Amino acid sequence: MNILEISNLTKHFGGLTAVNDLDLTIKKGEILALIGPNGAGKSTVFNCVAGVYAPSVGEIRFKGEVISGQKPWNLSRRGLARTFQIVKPFGPKTVLYNVMVGAFLRTNSTKVAREKAEEILTILHLEHLRDRLAGNLTIADRKRLEIAKAMATDPELLLLDEVMAGLRPTEIDEMIGIIRGVRDRGMTVFVIEHIMRAVMALSDRVVVIQFGSKIAEGTPEAVTKDENVIKAYLGGEYGVSGN
Amino acid sequence: MTRKQLDRTLLCVGAAVAFGLPQLIDSPTYLQIIILLFFYAYLTSAWNLVGGFAGVLPMGHAVFVGIGAYTSTVLFLQYNISPWIGMLAGGVVAAAIGVIIGKPTLKMRGAYFALCTIAFAEGLRVMIENIDMLGPFKLNGPRGLLIPLKGDSLAAFQFMHKEPYYYIILIMLCLVLAFTWFISRSKIGYYLGAGGEEPEAAESLGVNVANYKLLAMAMSCFLTALAGTFYAQLMLYFYPKGLLGLDLSFEIAFIALIGGRGTIAGPVIGALALRPLNEFTRIYLSDQLPGLHLVIFGLILILVMLFQPKGLTAPLSRIYERLAQAITTPGGEKS
Amino acid sequence: MSALYQSLVNGTMMGAMYGLTALGLTLIFGVMKVVNFAHGSLLMVGMFAAYWLLKITGMHPFLALLIVPPLLFVFGYYLQDLVIKPVFKSERGVREPLTVIIVTTGVWYVLDNLALMLFGAEYRTVRTAISGTSFSMGEVIVSWPKFAGFVVSMLTAVGLWLFMLKTRTGKALRATSMDREAANLMGIDQYKIYNVAFGLGTAIAGVAGCVIIPFYYVYPSVGVVFDIRAFIIVVLGGLGSIPGAILGGVVIGIIESTFAQFMTSTWTEAIIYGIFLLILFFKPSGFFGNKQDW
Repeated sequence: MNILEISNLTKHFGGLTAVNDLDLTIKKGEILALIGPNGAGKSTVFNCVAGVYAPSVGEIRFKGEVISGQKPWNLSRRGLARTFQIVKPFGPKTVLYNVMVGAFLRTNSTKVAREKAEEILTILHLEHLRDRLAGNLTIADRKRLEIAKAMATDPELLLLDEVMAGLRPTEIDEMIGIIRGVRDRGMTVFVIEHIMRAVMALSDRVVVIQFGSKIAEGTPEAVTKDENVIKAYLGGEYGVSGN
Repeated sequence: MTRKQLDRTLLCVGAAVAFGLPQLIDSPTYLQIIILLFFYAYLTSAWNLVGGFAGVLPMGHAVFVGIGAYTSTVLFLQYNISPWIGMLAGGVVAAAIGVIIGKPTLKMRGAYFALCTIAFAEGLRVMIENIDMLGPFKLNGPRGLLIPLKGDSLAAFQFMHKEPYYYIILIMLCLVLAFTWFISRSKIGYYLGAGGEEPEAAESLGVNVANYKLLAMAMSCFLTALAGTFYAQLMLYFYPKGLLGLDLSFEIAFIALIGGRGTIAGPVIGALALRPLNEFTRIYLSDQLPGLHLVIFGLILILVMLFQPKGLTAPLSRIYERLAQAITTPGGEKS
Repeated sequence: MSALYQSLVNGTMMGAMYGLTALGLTLIFGVMKVVNFAHGSLLMVGMFAAYWLLKITGMHPFLALLIVPPLLFVFGYYLQDLVIKPVFKSERGVREPLTVIIVTTGVWYVLDNLALMLFGAEYRTVRTAISGTSFSMGEVIVSWPKFAGFVVSMLTAVGLWLFMLKTRTGKALRATSMDREAANLMGIDQYKIYNVAFGLGTAIAGVAGCVIIPFYYVYPSVGVVFDIRAFIIVVLGGLGSIPGAILGGVVIGIIESTFAQFMTSTWTEAIIYGIFLLILFFKPSGFFGNKQDW
């Protein structure tokens, strides 16, 4: 079953076409990576799905229903959560507070929200930081907090916007483990990622876009062997190292 | 003693002192000063729902004090309706006006919101000063309204002594503190805090930020207007310039910032710090040097903002934490 | 009909001076993103400075234009450096520097009441070489001091605009107003630029003080009269916009002087607030404001 179906998505900004007639589907329980060079339109696709922009043309269906143009808070109620590429913690508040805001989506009880938030902090190995102020965390912890907040809303589909950027190699490995864990809990994951090592290790399927259009789609291995991709995006020298 | 016991004991002692104080103080002047201190702490707590929790800066809240005072007084003078009922009516009117004003302005950046609230407050004050009759309602323009003496009467919200006023405002203050405490620990409080900090992130987590801010505005305006009725009944006279002017609006914001914006105790600590100082410098210094008390007022504000930008509550609670650690035994054994 | 012309001319001239009082406010907001609530008090300082200078020396008010604004620049520069900057720094990383707004309100209280302590509450006027003189243009009588104020306001606005466009410092001011992080990375010292912006804004308040004093009176809380009006003008014109400030000022001036023919001045005031709120509801970015700024 497809949890997300994007058909004929086009988005213009003035004279610029950021996304051009894109089709993309995500199956339930899958980890799909959207990759492409800088300015390829990845973030625009994300923002259209997340309700920040209304598509110029085309349709986005989530769980079979059209969601194009819905407000972000309604989308998260339906089970779609996102992180921000430039993390947006509630800086002067504690880590626990941050995650509880997400948890309140499914409950009105402070006690239930706190328990839920604590559970998620444990899953993401953040429990030792629960009373820290979010604004004082390291970048790696902020990225994890960003995921924790989104997870607390109990999403069925999680959009992760470059959660690996700025992390060190060991932190990337840890993050890969975390995202796999998220999927194993039944969530579908849609990632935008620049770090190829993570994409290769993580995703079930990869979609490559350039100038707003899809140029390849398939398993990570297949995509990195694709001539179009190698030419257009990865450069001639890139082979499949697997890691 | 455990930590919880200590907190509770101190709270009880504080409450006992507050409720017993009128037995110790004979001078109605001093009692009046304390009544006004509670009045300001109450107003600032109500302000805090928007200015603290929702993260914007309302600078014209005196308008809602005025709406409360005018509504209940007009109802009492012209229709003989008890000020207690008028109080609630004023609250509802203020909440409605707050929502009408908040709807377009709460979306704006903080600076714009502050300017809008000032302009609205000043505009309304100027209007009321120009209006003798608003439809059937007699507002009496710049001269203001005078409430005739009826003697001791609970129904008419009038008392010959200060004590009843003292207890009324004390209970109002306790209730508003309990209310803000409850809000800060509830979903509404979390949503307001998140929306005030990072609206976009909050919205992606399911928070309809605009609606929650409006809710906070409505609650804040309602509670503020109740204090307006109290003030009218305490003074039995008010006029637009004194009640709706910028001075009251600004003083509320000053107390909040000096005490600590967005904290429960901040309004009380801020009022404790500023009000007595304001009263005494005004009484003792303003004859020789008019304006000196306001210079001191402004200097204190600047100094607190320079050295404790989060307000006085933060360092005081750190001191309290340290003292409490020294006194209490960890783990919950009896001492 | 001539009454209408007369009020249009008067309104335009007063309005340009209102615009001048708003110019410093809009400059400071544009660069620092701070609404300077003390702006009216700075104007009051400018008016008192001009008042005492003219009173004691009896010099021509145009000459005071060479002395008062530089003094006010220094005053504003150090006010920002010593009082406002530290609060700004402690609020770094906060989206909205709201504490800074409150600090400027504190500055307002201190300045106004210091003036009250020093000079008392009475209204003071000073007779200058141009006070009370006028010339006629057809049926319309033009007061010399207001006409001079109008010309100086326009010249100041054009001068500021050219300064922002052509000079290195002006470019640095504009760069900081657009993106303070990026400007920082380009080697612009953000806080120094703030000092300059605040100093310039204060100097312009000094210019306004010099042109207003020949026909108006000064007292410690005179700033409030102009302050609220200046806030309205900058929002009308768009916070941060130089032509917007002058245009907004002229609009307010004309509304005031024409409506004053039909109603009391307090009602005119109420109507100005009403128009202001309507504009905020329907076009909150003003005539020339950036959409992102509100």
